[in-house]
Amino acid sequence: MSKKKSLFVDCSEAANCCDKAQYKEASFFEKLKIRLHFALCGPCKKYSTKNTKLTNLIEKSDIKTCTEAEKKQWKEKIEKEISN
Amino acid sequence: MSVNKIDATKWVDKYSDYLFNYTIVRVNDREVANDLISETFLAGLKSMKNFKGEATERTWLISILKRKIIDHYRKINSKKGKAEVKINYSEEGNEGDWLEEQAPDRFDKTAEDLMENEELGLAILDCMENLTEKQAKIFKMKTIDGFDTETICNEFNITPSNLWVIIHRARVTLAECLEKNWF
Repeated sequence: MSKKKSLFVDCSEAANCCDKAQYKEASFFEKLKIRLHFALCGPCKKYSTKNTKLTNLIEKSDIKTCTEAEKKQWKEKIEKEISN
Repeated sequence: MSVNKIDATKWVDKYSDYLFNYTIVRVNDREVANDLISETFLAGLKSMKNFKGEATERTWLISILKRKIIDHYRKINSKKGKAEVKINYSEEGNEGDWLEEQAPDRFDKTAEDLMENEELGLAILDCMENLTEKQAKIFKMKTIDGFDTETICNEFNITPSNLWVIIHRARVTLAECLEKNWF
């Protein structure tokens, strides 16, 4: 992706930077860009608020995922039972 | 009947995370949770013909799981003595004779907080069912398991910008769904 070295970005790029920021993967320059964009753009500011809220909720919920090995073992059991 | 046809081979991919989170807060032991979920799937297979399609498949599986969890509680409690709460009042003179006064606060969380977090977790997983299978998988890897972008891109053979588009769509869908169902 070729990025123009401009501080002024469109909404889709701002959203992209905002998503990256949720995973702490936004660079300093990207963070600067979204700050500036949000100051000018209401809807994007709103998206950012929602997005951050989502991150906080997921963190708070402490969801756990099953490992692939666990899933595989269940699948095998189910398949074995079906074929019987 | 054909409308409500059950495809048991899809159960694991569709419901295992939900069932797992439901179980783990109740039994607090990964291995036990695993076994209970296995039993649930097998019991589900056996009683598939009783599934009337009145509830969703997941609700039905949860109702089986609930019974498995209760059975599990009974089993560990029937090992005599373990079920008893042994109360030892403090030796002498200590301030606060009651157990409650002696127990340390469990972090800073109240029972209500823990309960709310559990419900929240299930609500989020619920909303994830609105995502496509690929979206859900990638979103979970990135957000919950915390894999880095490169690893996921390699695994799914996609570019980073593909990944961010998928993540973006997933986040928008989830935020909307949670707004409706949680707040």
